[in-house]
Amino acid sequence: MARIFGIDLGTTNSLIATMENGAPRVIAVGEKGSALLPSVVAIAPDGAVTVGERAVEMEPHLTVERDGRVSAVGFAGGEYGAVIRSVKRYMGLGGDEIAPEDRARYTFADLSGPVVRFQIGKRVFTPSQISAEILRALKSGAERALGNDEKIERVVITVPAYFNDGQRQATKDAGRLAGLDVVRLVNEPTAASLAYGLNKMATGNVAVFDFGGGTFDISILSIKEGIFEVLATNGDTHLGGDDIDRAIVDWILAELPHTLKLDRHVWNSARMAAEDAKKSLTDATGTDVVVELPGHSIRKHLTRDALEDMAAPFVARTLKRCELAVADAKLTPAAIDAVVLVGGSTRMPMVRRRVAEMFHREPLCSINPDEVVALGAAVQASVLMGTQGDMLLLDVVPLSLGIETMGGVMERLIHRNTTIPTSVAEGFTTAVDNQTHVDIHVLQGERELAKDCRSLARFKLGPIQAQPAGVPRIEVTFLIDANGILNVNARDERTGREHSIDVKPSYGLTDDEIERMLEEAIDLGEQDLEERLLISARNDAEQILGALRKQLGEFGRLVPDGERARMDEVEERLEAARTGTDRELIAKLVEELNEVTTPFAERIMDAAIKLALEKKSVEELS
Amino acid sequence: MIECPSCGRRQEPSLTCADCGSPLAAPLDCFAALGIPRQLTIDLDALERRYHELSRKLHPDRFASKGPKVRDASLRATAMLTRSYRTLRDPVARGLYWLELNGEKLAENNKRVPPELAELVFEVQEQLAEMQLSSDPEQAHERATEVAARRVELQFKMDEALADLERHFAKWDQSADEKMLTQELKTILSNIAYLRTLIRDVDRALENTKAA
Repeated sequence: MARIFGIDLGTTNSLIATMENGAPRVIAVGEKGSALLPSVVAIAPDGAVTVGERAVEMEPHLTVERDGRVSAVGFAGGEYGAVIRSVKRYMGLGGDEIAPEDRARYTFADLSGPVVRFQIGKRVFTPSQISAEILRALKSGAERALGNDEKIERVVITVPAYFNDGQRQATKDAGRLAGLDVVRLVNEPTAASLAYGLNKMATGNVAVFDFGGGTFDISILSIKEGIFEVLATNGDTHLGGDDIDRAIVDWILAELPHTLKLDRHVWNSARMAAEDAKKSLTDATGTDVVVELPGHSIRKHLTRDALEDMAAPFVARTLKRCELAVADAKLTPAAIDAVVLVGGSTRMPMVRRRVAEMFHREPLCSINPDEVVALGAAVQASVLMGTQGDMLLLDVVPLSLGIETMGGVMERLIHRNTTIPTSVAEGFTTAVDNQTHVDIHVLQGERELAKDCRSLARFKLGPIQAQPAGVPRIEVTFLIDANGILNVNARDERTGREHSIDVKPSYGLTDDEIERMLEEAIDLGEQDLEERLLISARNDAEQILGALRKQLGEFGRLVPDGERARMDEVEERLEAARTGTDRELIAKLVEELNEVTTPFAERIMDAAIKLALEKKSVEELS
Repeated sequence: MIECPSCGRRQEPSLTCADCGSPLAAPLDCFAALGIPRQLTIDLDALERRYHELSRKLHPDRFASKGPKVRDASLRATAMLTRSYRTLRDPVARGLYWLELNGEKLAENNKRVPPELAELVFEVQEQLAEMQLSSDPEQAHERATEVAARRVELQFKMDEALADLERHFAKWDQSADEKMLTQELKTILSNIAYLRTLIRDVDRALENTKAA
């Protein structure tokens, strides 16, 4: 049987790991021999995909040229292609769950459906499809690094412990779309505890504080003779380092007019500066933040104290979650024998300090917080292969599961922090004579009313034989598997026959949709490479020609005659070449046209910023 | 009899096949699932060890490379084991389950106040009403302090009731009078259920006052 690999599909970085000589190790998949693959996916208008470091370079940002001019580069989204980062934040979300600030970052297709879809060029991509690209990049990178013709087919993928059913399903779908057999989903903090537990560093009651780029988890475990039993978990799947970065960006761009703040090039440049500043303040107590805009520089000084003020509300939220988890585990902070730090955001000195205060002890961080989850996933993979002795993980379901009953009340069937796998059987009957179907609305959450919980799925039981009300007796079993995913089946109590159930997931993809996506992906793969490159070059040509014509229409006055003549000449040659089959000629002309139009593009940006700043100063004066 | 999905031989209901040791998804009561005698007193450390031992044998992670039938049996057997452990580990859940095994059930919405708690319940409800109605902040704070003191008293009562339950468990395991056993068990459990609701109400009211 093929080896199972462990994957940490992170918000900011993704890693793949395996066991070697009894110890887990990460595999170098990055271009520079790094094990961290940035979870960033660039998609050109024609659908060409780039993942990792090179995708980061394609993110929209402002760059200072050799001659000192500032120009805007990268895929700006929509018809110009897009670069998607932190896609994990969108996993399992419905269109109605997208926040306004997300809409400024990305272009979405119709948001009325049960799945978020990014609009890129003429295509739409679900978060599962984007994540599948990250998984594919990890797979091919690791296969290359292993260099022994070994194929990676079976994997363990980690998810935040607080991921709900829909988010877990979306992660499994991503694996399937990447052509992987996802043997198991493992909760990230639990995986981390496996990596520590292997070294016998953590025994007794252990708290795992996992503060990553986009998600926060706290899990309390009891570790005894190789059994890793989760007692309670809590968290927030939309709380991470990204939120602190956003707060810094708001501070950096505070004086800019609103329209400019939302510009994707400006915003992302500020985000990169914010991330750098945050990282350098791990050791330094102050740092300069510089963002170069055309004709205007933002220069500010950020102290660690000021950063901590900005981060404080987010850190406070993590600590509140810790209190709840400790209480749910029926323990006190003093009864915790070890605290383990996981995730890049735990590098902040403030986070370490506050966690130490809360648990009255210094937290452990001897394993690299960026790698520990992937290492733990490799340990779990080895458990699944039966090569890890007596080690066993007993995890819990993070959120209560129930059904909607009369009056819109949520009736809890499985309580949060119940060890999984677990199941519960519930009897259903009809309310009126000759009723042929029973509808069951399954919910997840802790609130009293159904409308305040998250809808998971609607099941239609039937057809039921026509009988007086209350006579049919159908037993429905809700089973949560070791991945934390719900399975439902129904049985007629009198005949013992299995009942068919029509499942409508409230969020996420149906099986048919995944099948279709898989077929499309295979079509794309079998297309002749040369042909794809030609199509890609033609699309590039079409894109630059279209953009140029649009800009000339609007800002034609900004182009001097000599420059205009050169532009026209290259434009004409490209127009002629693009219907031909000489791919290299098309690519060369696209580059040439790009070059002769760069000064023009800069002038447009300058003019826009000047206009915006003037408007702002007029507003300030008045 | 049930067919083993692994070796195909017919088996008596159990969590594992007597012939090949594979998991079986046979319906069992909680005591049988953990392979312990049907008794109300349980040594919790021994129960945990038993649960861990069986988990090691049955858990789906042990059968990741097996066929779908075996994996399904392992999943169902583990789900049953986990639920049984959870039920027996908690004395209140265990007591309620015992009633169920004997064809008895506590009324779902236990509205009738148990006589021995009537006075206490009346006082607590009056105090809660006073706290929620007081408009003067200083007075409200004073009331909240009183309610918080009550909360401690209620917890004390609860601990007492739980200890009483454990004492009765031991007594009942020795006694042969099933009928009396069920009646007493019902009384104690309904007191506990009532106290639990009361404590939850007090906690909510205190939480709301704090928020306001």
